[in-house]
Amino acid sequence: MRFDQPRGLRQSMSWLHTWSGLVLGWFLFAIFVTGTLSFFRNEITFWMQPELHRADKSRVDLDRALQVLAREAPHATQWSMTFPSSRNPTLGLSWQIPAGGESRATAGEAPREGGRDRANAPRERKPAGEGAENGAGARAERGGERGNPAFRESAKNLPGAHGEDLRQRADGQAADSARGSAVSRAAQAESAQQQQIAQAAHSQAQGGSGHGRDARVVLDPATGERLQGRTTAGGNFLYRFHFELYGMDRLWGRWIIGIATMFMFIALISGVIVHRNIFKDFFTFRPARGKRSWIDAHAATSVLSLPFHIVITFSGLLLFGPMMIPTAMQGAYGDNPTAYMQAMRARNLGQTSSPSGERAPLTDLKPLYDAARLAWPERGVGSLTITHPGDRGAIVEFRQPMMGGSLAAGRSTAQTLKFDGATGERLDPAPLAPPTLVQSISNVLIMLHRGFFASPVPRWLLFLAGVGGSLMIATGMVMWRVARQKKQEKTGRTPFGHRLVEISNVAGIAGLLVATAAYFWANRLIPADLPGRADWEIRVFFIAWAAMLVHALLRRHKAAWVEQLACAGFLTAALPFVNAFTGGLPLPASIALGQGLLAGFDLCALFMGIGFFYAAWKVCRHVPRVRREVPEASAADHPADADGLEDGLRVLPVEPLAPAATHLQPEANA
Amino acid sequence: MLSVDPYPGANVVLRVLMAVFGSYGLTLLAAAALAVGVPFAFKPDAVSFAVMLAFLIYLLSVLWVFAAATLLRAALGLVLPAAVFGLWLFAAAPSRGMS
Repeated sequence: MRFDQPRGLRQSMSWLHTWSGLVLGWFLFAIFVTGTLSFFRNEITFWMQPELHRADKSRVDLDRALQVLAREAPHATQWSMTFPSSRNPTLGLSWQIPAGGESRATAGEAPREGGRDRANAPRERKPAGEGAENGAGARAERGGERGNPAFRESAKNLPGAHGEDLRQRADGQAADSARGSAVSRAAQAESAQQQQIAQAAHSQAQGGSGHGRDARVVLDPATGERLQGRTTAGGNFLYRFHFELYGMDRLWGRWIIGIATMFMFIALISGVIVHRNIFKDFFTFRPARGKRSWIDAHAATSVLSLPFHIVITFSGLLLFGPMMIPTAMQGAYGDNPTAYMQAMRARNLGQTSSPSGERAPLTDLKPLYDAARLAWPERGVGSLTITHPGDRGAIVEFRQPMMGGSLAAGRSTAQTLKFDGATGERLDPAPLAPPTLVQSISNVLIMLHRGFFASPVPRWLLFLAGVGGSLMIATGMVMWRVARQKKQEKTGRTPFGHRLVEISNVAGIAGLLVATAAYFWANRLIPADLPGRADWEIRVFFIAWAAMLVHALLRRHKAAWVEQLACAGFLTAALPFVNAFTGGLPLPASIALGQGLLAGFDLCALFMGIGFFYAAWKVCRHVPRVRREVPEASAADHPADADGLEDGLRVLPVEPLAPAATHLQPEANA
Repeated sequence: MLSVDPYPGANVVLRVLMAVFGSYGLTLLAAAALAVGVPFAFKPDAVSFAVMLAFLIYLLSVLWVFAAATLLRAALGLVLPAAVFGLWLFAAAPSRGMS
């Protein structure tokens, strides 16, 4: 097709769909796969810390937990406790060190993200520019102890938006800390549900007390025994990779992902325009018909969860919005973006408390905890925050698990119960303004993207939709190559561009699956006490991926597919066994004990692995159809090729066959 | 014929450049105009609203650039909306326009 000649809208859109999808296809696949796994990143992290697998969450020993806090952090301005939940059976403790204290920070992901984020942090601040520094300074001034350089320094070490969120949670108010990244500030501003995110970070920050030493402690809920999980980036590596890559400046990573997301958005919508018959396509599948089967598979996986694809892509863009569309903020607030932060904060977080300076013992928490449990019989108590423990002005705040409730409300879906820490009296929560319409829309989209839901069912649906999206991208990429098979056979040679796509398909699809599985293997095979082991796990991921790229370069196309898919199948399907033999809770035991998240991981790995094996077997058995070539007829019978529609996307509408009967029909142009 | 452009080889390249940079420029301008020009009781709404609409504007303008029959029409499809948004921005906030 040529753009300088008259052509139909769908021809143009077909061209756009093909090329916007193909150029970054392998990259979009990686984003989709790691992002899909991120829906379960807490569960993945928990799986990757087998030391915690046998925690007993049947009851919570509150006194022991308080003793640990009083011993470890007597001068903290705030103590936090995350109660065991369906997504993590351990009891997490964390605290915030006051001004002048050691810069141990409030922990969070820092321990687990280990050296990487610390190494990143200084570099990352550079592009933030003076505007960000100004803002940080302004905010730090207001925030009393947070203005303290020691705390600011420690806060800077915390990674990305989630460290931010976590501190915010720990603060009980907005994160005023002096982390100067314009991106994270903007991303933070974007989401009105800060507290919930914070809680997510909170509950997922279980374990991993390696690097950050005492910043965070994980206990067995029932015995109060301290659990020492191995240092690992866990599911957070995959999570962070899917929106800021790895090993490069964070701002660069986010821009690259943002641009790729825009490509995805364009490919999606242009694809919808090309495929007029969306409903029909969904019921059409003609197996073993070469290119057409690929078209059908691509259309089916696209249409099956099209709303998901569109929402996840658009909301992904929104998360980058302030970074990619800076003029929106400049337009509304000029050179004073902190005003935006203040307005959001005032609306979403309400008032905060300050210490009186007078000492007073903390009231007995048992009755308060019982009151909270009584108040929320169904959702239970998610976390507990004690602000200014030991002070007359101490506040005890229980919070529901952050998931569930109204999506639109964003931050306020998790109810809280507040008590006076000295007297145990119930405090009335400050009324918060309901979200505006625009905020509601934005919240719904972003919360869907982040998968904040009460029950596991919507989470699994999101996960499945993500798998569907990954398949959509993969089939689309393969389709490009299959559509050119005939031409390739005719000329007897593979053009360089085609070979490039072949390699990027194999290494980008099968290779990524191998690398992901290798990451989990590395988690169990690298000694638990090896220094810097978290970095080694990540290195294994990239080494495996690079090895698959080299393999794809060296091997013939088909052989590369078969070998890499089989390799991914073996590595993935074997994960339950690796888990059982390296100290994790074996699959039968996790099922028997009702440890759904471990059983879920193992079963998922098993099924996925079998799926990869099946794919390998199918590719291995695949014999291309022998075509009777009739050059003249082919142009007439393939209007798609003749009028320049890329990849024969129009084959479907052109064919006058009823969908249900199509598989019975003889090959139209064989 | 009017619908045939004089430089066939450069056509796709020019369209890609227009889609990537021209559309982005239009989007930035539109976002600024929307953020200033649409009144909201809760001011941060203006930012969220402008950002949401901006991505849709980018999408539509890219589709337009490739769908337009000729390069001239593709370019006009970027320039005319940009002029409108620019005027709107200037009318809503003369001091801030195009800074």
